[in-house]
Amino acid sequence: MTKQAGNKNTIYSVSNSIKRFKRDINQWSITTLTIVFIIAIPILTIFFKLFSGPGETWDHIVKNLLPKYLTNTSLLIIGCTTLVLLMGVSAAWIVSRYEFPYRKQLEWLLILPLAIPSYITAYSYAGVFDYGGTLELLFRTVGTTLPKIDIMNVSGLILILSLSLYPYVYVSARTVFLTQANNLIEASKLLGVGEFKTFFKLILPLARPAIIGGLILVLMEVLNDYGAAKYYGVSTFTTGIFRAWFALEEPETAVYLSAILVTIIFGLIMIEKWQRRKIGYHNDIKNNVILKRKNTTKKKRWLLFFLASIPAVLGFIIPVLQLLYWASLTFTTVFSWDFMSISLQSLSIALLAAVLTVGFALGLIYMSKWNKLKLIKNLTKISILGYAIPGAVIAVGVMIPTLIIDKWLNRMIAAAFDHNIGLVINGTIIGLTYAYMVRFLAVGYNPIEANALKIGDRLAESSRILGKSNIKTFFKINFPLIQKGVISGLLLVFVDVMKELPLTLILKPYDVSTLAVKAYEYASDELIAEAALPSLLIIITGILPVIFLNKLITK
Amino acid sequence: MNLLEVTTLSKSFDQGKTMALDQVSFTIKQGKVIAIVGESGSAKTTLIRLISGLETPDYGVIKLKGEVISSLETMVPPEKRNVGLVFQDYALFPHLTVAANVGYGIKDKTMKEARIAEVLNLVGLAGYEKRYPHQLSGGQQQRVALARAIAPQPELLILDEPFSNLDTMLREQLRNEIFEIIKKTAITAIFVTHDTEDALAVSDRIMVLKKGKLIQKDKAKALYKKPDTPYVASLFGTIIELKNNVLEEFGFTPETNKHYALRAQDIKIEKTTKYQLEVQLKRVQFMGEYYQIEVITSNGNQFMIHAPKKYKQETLTIGFNPKNLLVFETN
Repeated sequence: MTKQAGNKNTIYSVSNSIKRFKRDINQWSITTLTIVFIIAIPILTIFFKLFSGPGETWDHIVKNLLPKYLTNTSLLIIGCTTLVLLMGVSAAWIVSRYEFPYRKQLEWLLILPLAIPSYITAYSYAGVFDYGGTLELLFRTVGTTLPKIDIMNVSGLILILSLSLYPYVYVSARTVFLTQANNLIEASKLLGVGEFKTFFKLILPLARPAIIGGLILVLMEVLNDYGAAKYYGVSTFTTGIFRAWFALEEPETAVYLSAILVTIIFGLIMIEKWQRRKIGYHNDIKNNVILKRKNTTKKKRWLLFFLASIPAVLGFIIPVLQLLYWASLTFTTVFSWDFMSISLQSLSIALLAAVLTVGFALGLIYMSKWNKLKLIKNLTKISILGYAIPGAVIAVGVMIPTLIIDKWLNRMIAAAFDHNIGLVINGTIIGLTYAYMVRFLAVGYNPIEANALKIGDRLAESSRILGKSNIKTFFKINFPLIQKGVISGLLLVFVDVMKELPLTLILKPYDVSTLAVKAYEYASDELIAEAALPSLLIIITGILPVIFLNKLITK
Repeated sequence: MNLLEVTTLSKSFDQGKTMALDQVSFTIKQGKVIAIVGESGSAKTTLIRLISGLETPDYGVIKLKGEVISSLETMVPPEKRNVGLVFQDYALFPHLTVAANVGYGIKDKTMKEARIAEVLNLVGLAGYEKRYPHQLSGGQQQRVALARAIAPQPELLILDEPFSNLDTMLREQLRNEIFEIIKKTAITAIFVTHDTEDALAVSDRIMVLKKGKLIQKDKAKALYKKPDTPYVASLFGTIIELKNNVLEEFGFTPETNKHYALRAQDIKIEKTTKYQLEVQLKRVQFMGEYYQIEVITSNGNQFMIHAPKKYKQETLTIGFNPKNLLVFETN
């Protein structure tokens, strides 16, 4: 019946494999590869720069500073993990399991600390606990004094970072509790197991992968932080990179510190991957009923309300009140044409970065689909790793190659036209936007990819078979159906760029400023009350997608 | 004339460790309706995705109207193949109306409106132009999907499990309707199914796929009467394989290197046939449409037969006519 063409060996012979490769490689393989390469440049730079050896002060750093960086970083990781789990998981459990007054309002209020960048929370708490700060004033008005509490240290930083980052854990734990805990609770009840035991023996282990997933995001943010650590005088890898770059002017040393930091992060990611793989926790959400909430006595209900509101009050309400108070004091001095222009710059840079990042994300998602080589398809995942890499590291990784390219461009143009064009990428909006893209590509990529997965490939395939090319299919079928994902991607990248500090500080053009940089500059100049207005503006833009995100989860 | 010519077509999804489709060759003549039958995992879907250009083959050649559309060197993209495909889940564009769905693939813009009206009329959905897919029943969606696929007048129409999403009542009616439409348009069609009843009812020829290999291709009747393997035979109803020593007990002399089976209904009970045998009843089990009886011969050979009614006696005379014997080569 079948004509014998030989066996597998001939089908998969080298010459046939080459023929298939020639047939399957297309323009999309090349474009996908190009995008991946462009996004990977900063990390490749760090990697290859490692081989050219450390700077002169490296020995001094290893001896005197590195131990401090390492202990501080470990303390931050351990401290934040403990606090964030405590606050995030317990708040998530209380609001998903119990009915109490203002539960619905509290449920989204608990997410709002995400809208405040950690350095801003740090500034406001510095003000609360400062000499002559808000707390002291409050106590003085009731006629007592209180012993001075110093929070400008590692413990204080742990508290601040935990208060501003616990929502990552809260959100991921709550999703699992709401969608998957009901069956377990009912089964436990039938078996006569108590509520307490059910939570610790069944529900918590079930939610563990999601909780640790959220925790990893927290730790990535902790390692990314520059503003809060700098202000509280805690030496970390990020502040070390800044020091090496600006104070010591040793890029090589910055590269070495970056490499250690990235290694720590990849270690964390590996742990996360490993814990996820160990047990198949997957529980089909479709068949699960939303968790039924328990009613308790009136007293208990208020106790629950009180407990669950602690993280929201400390993480959002107090900092915002402090900022509002400051803003009322400094509004007239801060608000000026200059300030308006900075706000406008900030918004336009964020908008530009969001549009470009989402554009690249769309390109990456669809072009890698149109490309037929599996190898290249697998490579695309590399380009969304930027989110794991601290802003300061990406800044270093962008700075080095763009300087080289700029020098080369200048030489070429000077030779050809006898004209000096100056820096084109480095220290310009182009370089800055590029760095944002590298850092936040995943932020734009994930919601779009999730949407595209939900829609599936059938519709696009139908369109192809009905005679429409890839590009036409994209505009007529894919794009109209993934709009929601595109909008969430735009919104999320926009807010992340608005909040971004370390990368912006290193790469921004000298005559350009953003609200985040302005807040940082005020705070560094001991004009902390003046930092309130730009901070509040950042928070307002940040609240928008938080509400949006919350809606996506509860749906 | 051969419309489609497939030669040693092969595909693996793990670089050759396991072959999803293993050197399949066949041809389809213009205007014929071919059914591809196979269990899940037989690579039916892979085969049609290769033909429509959604997958690239690892080896082999596909020719449409004599032109190479897939080979080691060539890969004509799906939009340039002029092949129509109706997906199992219909894949109607949810954000487009029925008319826009049906008109989506029509290239000649001047003829568009007229052609939409024509095909909607053909599938009995005139007047539904402005509806959206989610406002239609499953059967209506199926017909829109068919209309959309035939509107651009493809050379070849492929239907992937076209009836699997419909309930049994609707299924038979729609099956006949749809194949009337296909016959009317004189289009060459391949349809994929795991249901042999569908295949027997509407196709000119049937291809049987098993684990990525084409194991038999023939006219429906021939395939039913002369299956090459017990596997193919069993796709079209229960068969009872009879060992050669059992056949000898019936008085039938089996040829060497051959083995035999009968379709369940071809074992006659208490009727005069050419080869007969008295057996003892061991166990009778009610199976709904028939009784399954375990019998034992005087030599101690045991096998199952199907009976239309319950037998209470201790022995039965069973027999068969030789023309009903299914004969297979022993490897």
